Amino acid sequence: MSYTFDKTFSITLLALSILFIFQATQISDSAYGSTVGPKIFPLGLGIILGLLSLQLFYESWKKAVRERVTGGPTTSSKISSTELKKFLIILGSALAYVFFLEKIGYMITTFLFLCISFQTMERTKLIYSIIIAAGFSLGVYYLFTSLLGGSLPSFPIF
Amino acid sequence: MSTLQFLADGFAVALQWQNLLFALVGVIIGTAVGVLPGIGPMSGVALLIPVTATITAGLPTEAAATSSIILLAGVYYGAMYGGSTTSILLNTPGESSSVVTTLDGYQMAKQGRAGSALSIAAIGSFCAGVVALLGLILLANPLSKLALKFGPAEYFSLMLLGLAAVSGLAGRSITKALIMTVLGLMLGTVGIDAVSGIERFTFGQPMLFSGIEFLTIAVGLFALGEVFKTILEKEEEDGQLAKINRVLPTKQDLKDSAVPIARGSLLGFFIGVLPGAGATLASFFSYITEKKFSKTPEQFGKGHIAGVAGPESANNAASGGAMIPLLTLGIPGSGTTAILMGALIMYNIQPGPLLFDEHPQVAWGLIASMFIGNLMLLALNMPLVRIFAKIIETPKKYLLPIIIAISIFGVYAVQFATFDLFLLVACGVLGYLFAKNDYPVAPLVLALVLGPMIENNMRRALTISNGDFSIFITKPLSLLFLVVAISWLLIPLIMKIRGKNVLINEEG
Repeated sequence: MSYTFDKTFSITLLALSILFIFQATQISDSAYGSTVGPKIFPLGLGIILGLLSLQLFYESWKKAVRERVTGGPTTSSKISSTELKKFLIILGSALAYVFFLEKIGYMITTFLFLCISFQTMERTKLIYSIIIAAGFSLGVYYLFTSLLGGSLPSFPIF
Repeated sequence: MSTLQFLADGFAVALQWQNLLFALVGVIIGTAVGVLPGIGPMSGVALLIPVTATITAGLPTEAAATSSIILLAGVYYGAMYGGSTTSILLNTPGESSSVVTTLDGYQMAKQGRAGSALSIAAIGSFCAGVVALLGLILLANPLSKLALKFGPAEYFSLMLLGLAAVSGLAGRSITKALIMTVLGLMLGTVGIDAVSGIERFTFGQPMLFSGIEFLTIAVGLFALGEVFKTILEKEEEDGQLAKINRVLPTKQDLKDSAVPIARGSLLGFFIGVLPGAGATLASFFSYITEKKFSKTPEQFGKGHIAGVAGPESANNAASGGAMIPLLTLGIPGSGTTAILMGALIMYNIQPGPLLFDEHPQVAWGLIASMFIGNLMLLALNMPLVRIFAKIIETPKKYLLPIIIAISIFGVYAVQFATFDLFLLVACGVLGYLFAKNDYPVAPLVLALVLGPMIENNMRRALTISNGDFSIFITKPLSLLFLVVAISWLLIPLIMKIRGKNVLINEEG
């Protein structure tokens, strides 16, 4: 397990809580004379988060020091670079899928996304991948639009 | 009308053909979800909310809510059962709640008694489901009557108690769990304030006006997070599938497991009712209890049937018991019930004491359908267990991308906005990072669901008391809830300082 994540995260949280508190003070007061406006709750949350992030920083710092002294367990489950590459390709294609969904339609984007990710997971049996991807995208589209009467972006709007 | 009359009406609702179908589909999908490692009950339920929402779109609101909650609850307890199948056959628990089942279940499978283990698990789950149902029927009315007397101060403290309970048991570090809770509460404040109509943290962006959608966060954190985790951390393909010779248990097995099933059901039910403690804890406790009561404790771990019967009944009873605080008080005690609550709120149906008065159809229909669903599980699983065991062989190559595609389709079908899809993918990455670094995700989702209600009740209470915060400690019930909430957080902490091991609930 890495304590660097905890440390970085605690600093991020601290920054977030300060930003949150600042934003909370900008919220305008209630129009009518209620004693508790929309400010109090977020303000309180921001303060609590700030305190908790300090506590997290202290805890992770203490653990890091203890490990340095004992030379303790630094074995972290390493992610192999091939898995990371797979993940990044799938993440990238998911983002592209989302970005183009409304622009070139549900069927084409879903089909492409599934083909790319199937082949990224394992580069075998291209023909099966194409059949399953086509089946899924067409099936979902027609089931949803014709049977259930929903609407999905169909084809590119030129 | 008496409880029995309501229950009969509930059965009338649950026996409508579409609801029977929904229950059937729910338990089948649930069993599949339970069998597949990589999707747990939480992500299964989260993933199916948008799907059920679109299927039920044509029905009137109340009927739609009933049907979809029947399906989702079916997924929930189906998954509890399905998890045991892989524990027994493969020594790989499908869910964390069936980890204990591997101890004796896999040993039994090795001895060629896989069939008995599986059918005892099914029978135990069924009995537990019935016990939970009886408990629900007995407790529903008195509890909701009691809850009707609560004012805003009591509600505020009770919800804090719910959050504290889930955070206190959620992970290895209470600090991390509390951080996740506060983050969830903060996310809940985004959007237009329901009381004053003032926009908060929207930065002028219209898509933030209605707040951050709970569904997007839940599907992202749970379903996508788990998919990303499976892609990144290749699990070793393990084990031969054990053979199933005979499905029916022997008379001796039945006799040996009757008492453990009864004990496990009761124990699991009461643990399930407590907020924070869920199915995982229940199964652990039951295993320990059975070992203590057994005349032959040395047989445990070597294929003792009680080691399967007890925990399997307990985890199912716990998932039924967890419905009680959700339905009667409107306070979910675990991640999965928080997601179910979010689903009900999507249909504009507020779980809580008024649920039984305002929407008896939903509440009692669900209760009755849980009974029918359990019956279906029993009927399905005895003959079909071989087919279900095959599901585990679904290649990940196709499964994982399809889960991503279903998540994206589901969120888009409900939200119609690309913004939510980007948020979904981002939540997926965050969900992976959180899980990897021991940040429990369940408290965040719970806090996101409860946040707006906590704030409203707090402000209502403070308006009554003219801004005096002492209202929360001068009302006796409210004070009691707060004291319990604080001790729930402090006691594990004190035990840790004293060097004792604290059981934690990873399933949430």
